[in-house]
Amino acid sequence: MLHTNCEGTTRRDFLKAGALGTAGFTLAGYLRGLEAGEVAATAPAKAAIFVNLNGGPSHMDTFDLKPNAPEDHRGEFKPIETNVAGIQISEHLPNLAKCMDKFVILRGVSHTLAAHDLGTDYVNCGNRPIRSLDFPSYGSVVTKERPGAPDLPPFVSIPNSRQKPGYLGVQYATMNTGATPKFGQPFSVRGIKLNNGVTVSDVEKRQSLLSDLDKTFKGFEANSQLVEGLDRFSQQAYSVITSPRAREAFDISKESPAFAEKFGKRDFGMSCMLACRLVESGVRFVTVTLGGWDTHADCFNVLKSQRLPTLDEGLAGLFNGLAEKGLLETTAVYVTGEFGRTPKVNPRVGRDHYPRAMFMLLAGGGVKGGRVLGASDEKGTGPEGKGFSPDDVAASYYKMLGIPHTLEYQTNTGRPVMVVRDGQPIPELFV
Amino acid sequence: MTWLALAVIAASTGVARADDTPAPTAKTEAEISSIAERFAKEAPETPDFRMHVSPLLGKVGCNGRACHGSFQGRGNFRLSLFGFDFKMDHDNLTKGDNPRVDLESPEESLILQKATLAIPHKGGERFAKDSWQYRVLLKWAQTGADGLSADREQDAVKLQITPSELHFSKTGEQATLKVVAHWQSGRVEDVTALCRFQSNNEQVATLSESLITSAEPGSTHIVVSYDNAVVPVLVVRPVSDKLGDKYPMVATPTRIDELVVNRLKQLGIVPSDVAGDAEFLRRVSLDLAGTLPAPTEVEAFLSDTSSDKRQRKVNELLERPSYAAWWTTKLCDITGNNDQQLNNVGYNRSTQQWYDWIQHRVVENMPYDKLVEGIVLAKSREEGESYADYCKEMSEFMHKGTDTNFSERDGLTYYWARRNYRSANERALGFAYTFLGIRIQCAECHKHPFDQWTQDDYKQFSGFFDPSRIRYGQFPAAKKEADEMLGALGIEPKKSNGGDVRRALQKAVTDGKIIPTEELFVTAAQPERPANKNAKNKGKKPDLRAASAKTAKLLGGEVVKVSALADPRTALMDWLRQKDNPYFARAFVNRVWANYFNVGIVNPTDDMSLANPPSNAPLLDYLAAGFVEHNYDMKWLHREICNSRTYQLSWVPNETNKLDETNFSRAVPRRLPAEIAYDAIYQATCTDEEIASRQTDVSRRAISVAGTQNRGKQGTSGYALTVFGRSVRESNCDCDRSAEASLLQTIYLQNDDEVLRNIERRGGWIDQMAKAAGMTLTGEPDAKQSALAKQKAMAKQEETNKQAAALMQKGKGDVSKLDKATVERQIVVFEKQLAKATEDKNEKRVNRLTTVLESLRTRQSQLAQATDKPAAELAVTEAPKAEAQPEVKPEAPKFDSAKVVRLAYLRTLSRPPTDTEVERSTRFIHEAADPVAGLKGLLWALVNTKEFIINH
Repeated sequence: MLHTNCEGTTRRDFLKAGALGTAGFTLAGYLRGLEAGEVAATAPAKAAIFVNLNGGPSHMDTFDLKPNAPEDHRGEFKPIETNVAGIQISEHLPNLAKCMDKFVILRGVSHTLAAHDLGTDYVNCGNRPIRSLDFPSYGSVVTKERPGAPDLPPFVSIPNSRQKPGYLGVQYATMNTGATPKFGQPFSVRGIKLNNGVTVSDVEKRQSLLSDLDKTFKGFEANSQLVEGLDRFSQQAYSVITSPRAREAFDISKESPAFAEKFGKRDFGMSCMLACRLVESGVRFVTVTLGGWDTHADCFNVLKSQRLPTLDEGLAGLFNGLAEKGLLETTAVYVTGEFGRTPKVNPRVGRDHYPRAMFMLLAGGGVKGGRVLGASDEKGTGPEGKGFSPDDVAASYYKMLGIPHTLEYQTNTGRPVMVVRDGQPIPELFV
Repeated sequence: MTWLALAVIAASTGVARADDTPAPTAKTEAEISSIAERFAKEAPETPDFRMHVSPLLGKVGCNGRACHGSFQGRGNFRLSLFGFDFKMDHDNLTKGDNPRVDLESPEESLILQKATLAIPHKGGERFAKDSWQYRVLLKWAQTGADGLSADREQDAVKLQITPSELHFSKTGEQATLKVVAHWQSGRVEDVTALCRFQSNNEQVATLSESLITSAEPGSTHIVVSYDNAVVPVLVVRPVSDKLGDKYPMVATPTRIDELVVNRLKQLGIVPSDVAGDAEFLRRVSLDLAGTLPAPTEVEAFLSDTSSDKRQRKVNELLERPSYAAWWTTKLCDITGNNDQQLNNVGYNRSTQQWYDWIQHRVVENMPYDKLVEGIVLAKSREEGESYADYCKEMSEFMHKGTDTNFSERDGLTYYWARRNYRSANERALGFAYTFLGIRIQCAECHKHPFDQWTQDDYKQFSGFFDPSRIRYGQFPAAKKEADEMLGALGIEPKKSNGGDVRRALQKAVTDGKIIPTEELFVTAAQPERPANKNAKNKGKKPDLRAASAKTAKLLGGEVVKVSALADPRTALMDWLRQKDNPYFARAFVNRVWANYFNVGIVNPTDDMSLANPPSNAPLLDYLAAGFVEHNYDMKWLHREICNSRTYQLSWVPNETNKLDETNFSRAVPRRLPAEIAYDAIYQATCTDEEIASRQTDVSRRAISVAGTQNRGKQGTSGYALTVFGRSVRESNCDCDRSAEASLLQTIYLQNDDEVLRNIERRGGWIDQMAKAAGMTLTGEPDAKQSALAKQKAMAKQEETNKQAAALMQKGKGDVSKLDKATVERQIVVFEKQLAKATEDKNEKRVNRLTTVLESLRTRQSQLAQATDKPAAELAVTEAPKAEAQPEVKPEAPKFDSAKVVRLAYLRTLSRPPTDTEVERSTRFIHEAADPVAGLKGLLWALVNTKEFIINH
């Protein structure tokens, strides 16, 4: 289910990347990217999962409690011990407490964009948004650098996501499942399996005809992201349709009951299980969205009755599920909202937007779990010391995936832009 | 508030000209130099809070979102975000327990000490001690730190920027802008140092304060803001050397063409050539009428040699039902015809009635302002109409088999009934989005630095939408009557749950009963209640009925005394209609333009803000003015655009315009919108007869789906419409409709059951083609026909065998009585038998057979002489095997591949195929298992070409 935040839903706040200039992306460029993928083959993580907590969850009520802060700050929830000595999280996250050893909490992450859209764009690409250029999100960069199996969509969002291809072009856009898997029901994406009676050889003949007839825009790919994107989708669709792998990957009913049990029965848990299954099948990048965190009023009731139990069950399922399948080491998981929430509880018993202090979680990808890095100050109003920026976390996430954050792309006007313009990997993560 | 209007004018011309006359004010004073110069050393003057101090605080970053502009403040000090709440800012600076300004010892003021890091400041150093900024703030504190003076409240500022446009020729070239403010008082001051600057495209121009540096070729705007004025400055850097005399001759037959080419000349961009007839026909049919041209239409258009055929085609398309359907859909997008928001309004008929209401008006080409008036001033009851009559009329629309029609009512009341259009704030946002094409969201909480709207503007504008005066619901005075009607129907709301009541009412109204109906009504202003000083009422509950707003203010316009108006919305409508309304006509014209050119002249089309100026202001002005002059005639606008050479340019780019998508130098390839894509796939696969009927009857097409849910509408797929990004109509944003391509769309086209079924379905085009060739859809000879043929053939064979046997028996067979067909058949039979007998060396039999054959041949030549019929007309019969069971081979299909390929191209790509395409396609058909399978493959491939799904 999608949640509308206090500013309404999707808005397109940026002007499209510049209109005039020279150079551009071509399929040849993409193929060169394939080769670049070989460099990355030595990286710890082969795949990635991004969990977007849409609306901005409060750090004070989840992973960064301040039991000693004044009452109007610390809120109603109490900390509990985890399976790692010395680390405490909210009492409403008991399952996550039991698998604390599998992930890292980053505290004192801080930025300055307190609007949903700007914040969301920021944490989804690791670059502070500017008006004149749309940056590509993680999923688009990862699938460009590490294209993955041709018969699977490389980048899947359950059910959709805010990750945009930006200046890389629509060909690196995600495939939205459009729907959320439901407990106890088979799941499939329409159109990915071959019809009864149609053979692969039929499809091949048709495809060969198609490629011979589809010549009108040949030679103009560089001038139109649409034309170039459609070419790429056409190749992808063909591979996905003709192989049984994709439909197997989406069918969560194939998981054993024993495995499925840990994900609970809620949609978010089912989405996490699907993410797990997709990664196991060879999908490179999966996003899962859990909204409803924009708790301006009555936040404690909302959190303890709905949001936290849902998050706790699904996310613990994801970490444990990946570990059980032996995938945690090779999958980089990143969990974040667009900002934290005000340390001081407002008169409506809610907390408002607060980018100066927030939490993020990282797991897998060769990063040792069971740790807390960074800290916020006594009342959770800002980072203790320098803190981390979303750019730093982005650089770290790319490092987990073997992609140097200094990797440079050219926009369609030939402007060179680094994947992460302003961040550095967090050294402590990688010890 | 003249300066607002002035700022608007500056935006609409795109240029703040140096020779613009300042605001009409008192005597203009001599220009005062920059405050940075004046305070370079100690200065005697007193800085003004609004003119100097507040912009300076913004300039050094104090009121930013991450700092004191945060709604929580920072370090117990809060300023209004981006600063325009002068009173709050002044109070927070000078009052409270810990004022930031120390009047006693000004140099100890926190704003000075913190900003210079004399004492720790989380925000770091903002300026140095003894800098001009420091001196300005110090002097202000020393002179009493006055706030906004009452007589300055109406101050008006106009910005004059030099140079008024920037023309660069190479990377790294620089220019410095100078900004001079003209206040209404006559004061003229250089405020460059206090302005904010922003580049709308850093790839074209970068900046550091007022110093602008050229980056890449192209054009953009530098946006300058100060106080409440926002002025864009055009930056141009040509993309080629085709400038001045070197610019080629380009025809400009219409005013649109002149205005577009004027701009292209500045940029050194040469437009593409004019598109061919087939390309034009396809494009204009899709854009104007949401429909692929019919194959016969393509043929007719291509063979038409008259010079005005394009113009005639535009006129013809404007009269089609599909034109009305598509533009009704677009109007439903921007007005927000959404099922979820109308849940339980009008018993699930409201979205259809909404659609029909608009369509009715588009068909009759009602002037746009009149159409909008029917929405803006909608009321449920006519003057003097009773509640009972109203309920009767509304109920009758929903009776089964009714012949009354909602669209004949004056007002589209449902616009006001949506759940997300109930509060004054929501209505202000939605109204601004729909009818003005502007976004005022930000101003709900703060003034945006690069937009003109303040919180006060927003709040005052909301005053027109007071939900206590403009209400949709049960009219209070008719409550009793409504209850009685329910009682008469045997429905007891108090005893059953809401769902049951709704179902009972739904059933009653379908069955022809009259049911109580909610309505849109407007009440008089609620007067302010005098404070209750009566002692005996003390301690009682306070009166919660708030007084209605007395006044409301039009955006950038006048203050209106709404309490004196019977319907506050009349003031809104009058304002929309004012000739100088800067938004109403422009917003519509711009959205229509974007439909034809992929992007608006202002883009995004719902963001007509000062900071987002038009890419070609004279063009937008011309179209908007023309639209108003032609009495808001929507068809005039479509004609004007479609008949321009600019619209008819080819998509094939040249060296100068290959990267241009915003100056209209060529057609930009774009994906078909969801509804049009769905209908196009269907049309590509249905019979010619159905194509023709779908041109006149649009009821089963996706372009006539009313709301946001399909409600099981025949022949349209909710899934496909979702995948291709049909507008969700829920968030006051034109981006609710998506034009992006996606993998899922390609998977749909290549492999979704729905598409494959359309191609292969019984009753579709391929079925029709197969039947004509005597085949079934699976490529076999038509089963029924072949069974019959088989029976006939067997009977015939039997007879032939008998006759043959008789002929062999001497005397028994008489060739002279045989008819022509039989003779021919027997000749075949005996030739075969003769061949076999010869092989077997059965001499006796050979002789006998030869004799019979000879007599048959003699008879044959006799018959041929006797009739005039040419031999070719003689039916050719199969050669039956004499002894074995007869076997019927399928007839060779009457399948003219080249002709069928041509038809397939016409119905998908709306053009005839090239020779190469014919060759490749026929080869595919011939190599296929059977011709029908081949044709299926071809149609599949054509539907999956980029040329099909792209409007180009």
